[in-house]
Amino acid sequence: MKKSFKSILLDNSVPIMFIIICAICIPLSGFSPTYLINEIITRLGRNAFLILSLLIPIMAGMGLNFGMTLGAMAAEIALIFVSDWQIWGIPGVVLAMIVSIPISIFLGWMCGNLLNMAKGREMVTSYIISYFLNGVYQLVVLYMMGPIIPIKHSTIKLPRGYGIRNTVSLLNMRQCLDNAWAIRIQGVKIPVLTLCIIALMCLIIVWFRRTKLGQDMRAVGQDMEVARSAGIAVERTRIISIIISTVLAGFGMVIYLQNMGNISTYASHSQIGMFCIAALLVGGASVDKASIGNVFLGVILFHLMFIVAPKAGAVITGDSMIGEYFRVFVSYAVITVALIMYETKKRNQKSNAARQLQLDQEAEEA
Amino acid sequence: MNRSLIAKICTIAVILGIAACMFVIGRGHTVYFDAKSVEYNGETVEPGYRTAIFVNDERVARLSAGDRGMATCIGQSFKFRVEVTPEKGADPVPYEFSIKLPYNMDGIVLNVPAMIAGAPQDVYLSEFVSMAVEVSTDAEEEIITDEFSLGDI
Amino acid sequence: MEQTNTTTFMDKLKGWAHSFGLPRLIIAGFLLVLFIAAPIVGADFWMQVTNTINRFSWNAIMVLAMVPMVHSGCGLNFGLPLGIISGLLGATLSIEFGFHGFMSFVMAIVIATPFAIIFGWVYGQLLNKIKGGEMMIATYVGFSSVSFMCMMWLLLPYKSPNMVWGLAGKGLRTTISLEGYYDKALANILQINIGKLSIPTGAILFFALLAFLMWAFLHTKTGTAMTAVGSNPTFAKAAGIDIDKTRTLSVIISTWLAAIGILVYEQGFGFIQLYMAPFYMAMPAVSAILIGGASVNKASITNVIIGTILFQGIVTMTPTVMNNMVHMDMSEVIRMIASNGMILYALTRKSEA
Repeated sequence: MKKSFKSILLDNSVPIMFIIICAICIPLSGFSPTYLINEIITRLGRNAFLILSLLIPIMAGMGLNFGMTLGAMAAEIALIFVSDWQIWGIPGVVLAMIVSIPISIFLGWMCGNLLNMAKGREMVTSYIISYFLNGVYQLVVLYMMGPIIPIKHSTIKLPRGYGIRNTVSLLNMRQCLDNAWAIRIQGVKIPVLTLCIIALMCLIIVWFRRTKLGQDMRAVGQDMEVARSAGIAVERTRIISIIISTVLAGFGMVIYLQNMGNISTYASHSQIGMFCIAALLVGGASVDKASIGNVFLGVILFHLMFIVAPKAGAVITGDSMIGEYFRVFVSYAVITVALIMYETKKRNQKSNAARQLQLDQEAEEA
Repeated sequence: MNRSLIAKICTIAVILGIAACMFVIGRGHTVYFDAKSVEYNGETVEPGYRTAIFVNDERVARLSAGDRGMATCIGQSFKFRVEVTPEKGADPVPYEFSIKLPYNMDGIVLNVPAMIAGAPQDVYLSEFVSMAVEVSTDAEEEIITDEFSLGDI
Repeated sequence: MEQTNTTTFMDKLKGWAHSFGLPRLIIAGFLLVLFIAAPIVGADFWMQVTNTINRFSWNAIMVLAMVPMVHSGCGLNFGLPLGIISGLLGATLSIEFGFHGFMSFVMAIVIATPFAIIFGWVYGQLLNKIKGGEMMIATYVGFSSVSFMCMMWLLLPYKSPNMVWGLAGKGLRTTISLEGYYDKALANILQINIGKLSIPTGAILFFALLAFLMWAFLHTKTGTAMTAVGSNPTFAKAAGIDIDKTRTLSVIISTWLAAIGILVYEQGFGFIQLYMAPFYMAMPAVSAILIGGASVNKASITNVIIGTILFQGIVTMTPTVMNNMVHMDMSEVIRMIASNGMILYALTRKSEA
């Protein structure tokens, strides 16, 4: 009994650590509960969908999909087009999602193929892919938009005639999803529509796990060779899981950006993967196991830390930058710790299996 | 196999249909209201002392003669109400308008006195050409590409 | 007779091109085109050569730092920022303690060394626990340490007025000028100037010395043991080599070289860059050695030299040539695509591992 309590503690060490950090920082920061709840709900609506997109590749045993950045890029390109076409409001959001689909599918297909060539080091490869495509993205957005890809409005084009400005305003679709059906309870704004979309997505994921494809993915995630001998097209299944993740990340990014109200053309996507992955891990997920519950717990804890850390840091040290750096450090440290825990676990399992095999053989011989 | 192919094509068709639909119903326009005098049928139509514009029962502009007000509209059918106060202290006279906005114009200028006088569209409606945007202060906008953003998430 | 000769030659050429790898050929060809195009579009050819050589002398040691870990099978050292941080600690402490001129450079190395050994040892222990997943974790160890040091640069009690923010009187600045300290400390030794061409002989000799030591080390008993651990761990274990210890040693050497590398970089560049600056420094070094012909589990000193020349050549040449040719600076984008594409190519190749 005591041992199981200890193992529970150990398995949930990351969320527990975060609860402690938040418990210390919240009183120090001096924010009112209403403000905090408001912020958390805003951020839940803003980020949850993006983080949900990470679940499917984890299911397929491909680890944390750092390539979700690709979906974010697709969404940004789609939003640039939509704001150039002057499609506003919810129709604009829907159109941006639709336009992002083919781009996401193409990028996801490419990413999936590359990851199949790098089995066993999917994470570092998907990570480098996101950097590589960031270069391609810049080539497209910074040089090709204007002369090759028509962009009409000078409000989003750089004065030199080609390339997109640092920030593209989405003023006309700003928070249009969040404000539709929004209700206020004691000063807390609840974006009902956005939360409904997120809930719907959760249901779809639950349903997807039970479909043939979902079962195949889990089989591939458990053991590729076994899955292959069971007649599952392993490579194809893996590619599909990445494509789905990329498309969902694209949708998530559209939701994220409509809430922000503007696109930082060259920066919005670059850190998004890192923050989403960190949030998921804070929620108690690991590289090979993640549930919807992890997503929500993660968003709440991680963003609570993110809100209170700068203020608390300023109170403790008298320098607001400390808190800023602290939260960045924590994001990276969480990912590092989670990766280390995953690799050690994998290694222990392997050596345990080897020991078991040895014992079996010895027993057979005897 | 054949059935799933048909299903796929149908899905794509439906998505494209939705996209086309969004193009039509989501097109945003900025509408400017001018309370300025205008030449129509050889006469000069003068604006009233005060012109108030209501869109969706919300007052978006209250214009003195010669002023310009602004509202936004998503989609092509645009309904608005005008209340003109002919002179100081007089009772406002309401008018209702419902017009089709041309799809290809981002900014549209409506001359309210001309509309009240019942002038044809080419008299009261013109395209708004923005000048101010070109004079951007950030002529040499620096492009930050590889920054480590510590910003809000 | 001649026929067979030519075929074998062609086969050899093909085999050579194959082993050289297509992306490498493209990059080498691209650089060649740049060098030919430079005088045509009106860029100063010798100026370009000087810049390339200079940048080579700044960066080569950080690329060299990749070699030991690749040899011991730890993969590409994406955790280079950890070593860079030891170097930065050495640099800032050396200035803080009031050393000047060339002495400050020597002291920076001296102070950086224990940090590099300690960090490298801890980092090596960590990597031994997670064999097989080194690269991803190395990346994040690098990132975590950089962001952790961001706080430390602000909090550590540095006092030297040349380094701290003038107004607050505490917290290190983002960039610190090395004038009066070790600016061009190595580059000025035996510097050769022929017309517009100038060669930082001292810095290159320093690199040559370290490269030679590395080469010699790899041929000692410990060095060959390291290679054995990387190429065939089972065999190495059977031969009685302590795998974990050897790997740790390789990580320590790599970390130390990264620390020296950043100091040499700074003496050429003339500034210490703190805070987020070390963040992306692993990428150029990793892609440089890959461009030079290394793979995830094979690297030599030749790879380091060729790779650094090619990579830095492209980095220096593209902006000037591009600017003169089409009046737009696409160098940053080209650099990103080329370097990350190269890493991607190496990772996705069916490797021997």
